[in-house]
Amino acid sequence: MSDLAYKNIEIFCGTGGVGKTTLATSRAYELGRKGVRVLLITIDPAKRLKQVLGLKDEKQGEVQKILASHFDAREEFSFDALLMSPRATLSRIASQSEDGADLDNPIVNILTKPYGGMNEIMAIIEVQYQINTGLYDCIVLDTPPGKHFIDFLQSSKKIVQFFDKSFVEIFKFLGKRITKKGEKPKKSLLSIIVSSGVKKLLSYLEKVTGKDFVEDFIDAVSGLYRNREAFLTALKFQEDLKKPSFSNWFLVTSVEQGKSSEAMGLKNEALKFMHKDSYLLINKSLSPYLGQWTPKADDTGLIKLCNSMKARENAIKEVAKEGYKSVLFFPEVLGATPISHVLELADNWK
Amino acid sequence: MKVATTSFSLLPSILSNKKARLIVITGKGGVGKTSLSLACVKFLSSRGRKVLYNSFDQPANTNLISQTNTDHFDLDVESSAQEYIGKKIGSTTVASWIMKTPFFKSLFNMLPGLAQMILLGNIINMLESDEDLTIVLDSPSSGHALTMLESPENFKEMFRTGLIVEDIDRMQNFLFRDEKMLLMTASLPSQMATVEALELGIELKKRGVPKVHKILNDSLTVCSEILNSPRSEYPEFLKTKLSLEEDLIKNLEKDQWPLMPHFSLNSQDLVIEAMTNFLSTHSRDSA
Repeated sequence: MSDLAYKNIEIFCGTGGVGKTTLATSRAYELGRKGVRVLLITIDPAKRLKQVLGLKDEKQGEVQKILASHFDAREEFSFDALLMSPRATLSRIASQSEDGADLDNPIVNILTKPYGGMNEIMAIIEVQYQINTGLYDCIVLDTPPGKHFIDFLQSSKKIVQFFDKSFVEIFKFLGKRITKKGEKPKKSLLSIIVSSGVKKLLSYLEKVTGKDFVEDFIDAVSGLYRNREAFLTALKFQEDLKKPSFSNWFLVTSVEQGKSSEAMGLKNEALKFMHKDSYLLINKSLSPYLGQWTPKADDTGLIKLCNSMKARENAIKEVAKEGYKSVLFFPEVLGATPISHVLELADNWK
Repeated sequence: MKVATTSFSLLPSILSNKKARLIVITGKGGVGKTSLSLACVKFLSSRGRKVLYNSFDQPANTNLISQTNTDHFDLDVESSAQEYIGKKIGSTTVASWIMKTPFFKSLFNMLPGLAQMILLGNIINMLESDEDLTIVLDSPSSGHALTMLESPENFKEMFRTGLIVEDIDRMQNFLFRDEKMLLMTASLPSQMATVEALELGIELKKRGVPKVHKILNDSLTVCSEILNSPRSEYPEFLKTKLSLEEDLIKNLEKDQWPLMPHFSLNSQDLVIEAMTNFLSTHSRDSA
């Protein structure tokens, strides 16, 4: 395949186990080798990237330099990598806030634990921040599998809903400061109407969850609201993603059981977020090996295995017919370690 | 190559444990969680157990469920939450009104852990109200499975008091005591998947799961199609694949990784049928 021009953002998405992390790393490696300033980010809480790059858990949330020597490469170059940490992203937002204590809230702290469930939402904010630093020519994104990738794409919509106007009225009513210092709060008829319902609602909530929670919760949301601008920057990212000049989309699938139909399903869902200029990457392809294999005519076992392997290759080629800018094949790497996989796949980007 | 067939009975015997009412199958993405979960339901129901399949917060693969004719149920976060709130405050009308507010809708969207906890609570309720029922949970993959099992503790810490905390205690008792939950992490025979399973096992134990079982799925080392032929007949790539796998298995604690063979079949429903037959054939106790 010919050299594929990089864009500001390169997104690797796909269902589980197809090789997103390894392929994304091979892409970052190959671009780094060419002298492109690359940041590789993983937003999958499973963090296989850590294993591929030999990183430590404590370094989560910090950008780290990955030297080519980690891959035993002879040339000298490097690229940067980041294991997404919701807590680290939140801390940065807090440090830039005019009132740092805003986000120091028990609820916010629990939710931003590594497995607290806020990964996808915080990720979109982190990516936009890294773009804004201007330090990188290209950011390669390794995303979580399937549904959680769609969650990631929907994050900015969720953020907007969360900071929705009518929702905010609740906190105005409760006398919480949601405006920045010096800003004048607006009063509207709507706020009074909404508030009367809210009071009832909160009293029900209190019954189920306890009073302390309701107070913490109100504090948490008003703290987040005062820092909403940091969250709303994520909207720009969502818009930019739709531009072919800004992003390359790589839908990854593999030649394994049932992957072809899964890939189709994910593509249909992701379609509304991506542009038409997308690539299909078919990973773990056995075609190069299968072409030369003809089992003995009486060996029914090997014939069955061979035929089933060939049938899978053909099934995935059907998916490839569906309007992609280009389809790239990556052969199955017969190596034990993730590093050997990255190196061999990197050669395929050339 | 010789295969220790005695070890084949390990997986069916783990699954047949009658104490286990909630069977959770997790692991790295793409390791075959759905196939294994469906096969597990088929296997247990063939032994006369009342078993249901559930795909938790992921949309169910309805094609596959109907092709394999598997008993299942679906849960929806919003209606589960509405039902729960309705019970707690004694009014379904108010509960439906609460759930319709943009306030709650956006809250659920921002807090996936809360939605997961509500689904899990609903599942445990089903199991507690029907002592004959077993549920097989086709769980989210590793990281998101941790979020699911960690969510009761996280929300307990947040809520501190109130009715909900009593319910969370009940949930945690079900999950982490008395072996009512059987948790299995599935892997493919690759370094990435097995390392993820081992790390996941450690994280799960930290969160109170007393025992984490493992499965090594799709293994060529016990694939009947190739074991009947001499190795000299294998093409080079297959020899390499097989020896890579053998080396990997050598480094695992063998008795703790029951194997599920690779089946040379071209549709997922046939693979599930083959898995089910495999479990039945090697099950020690008669149906």
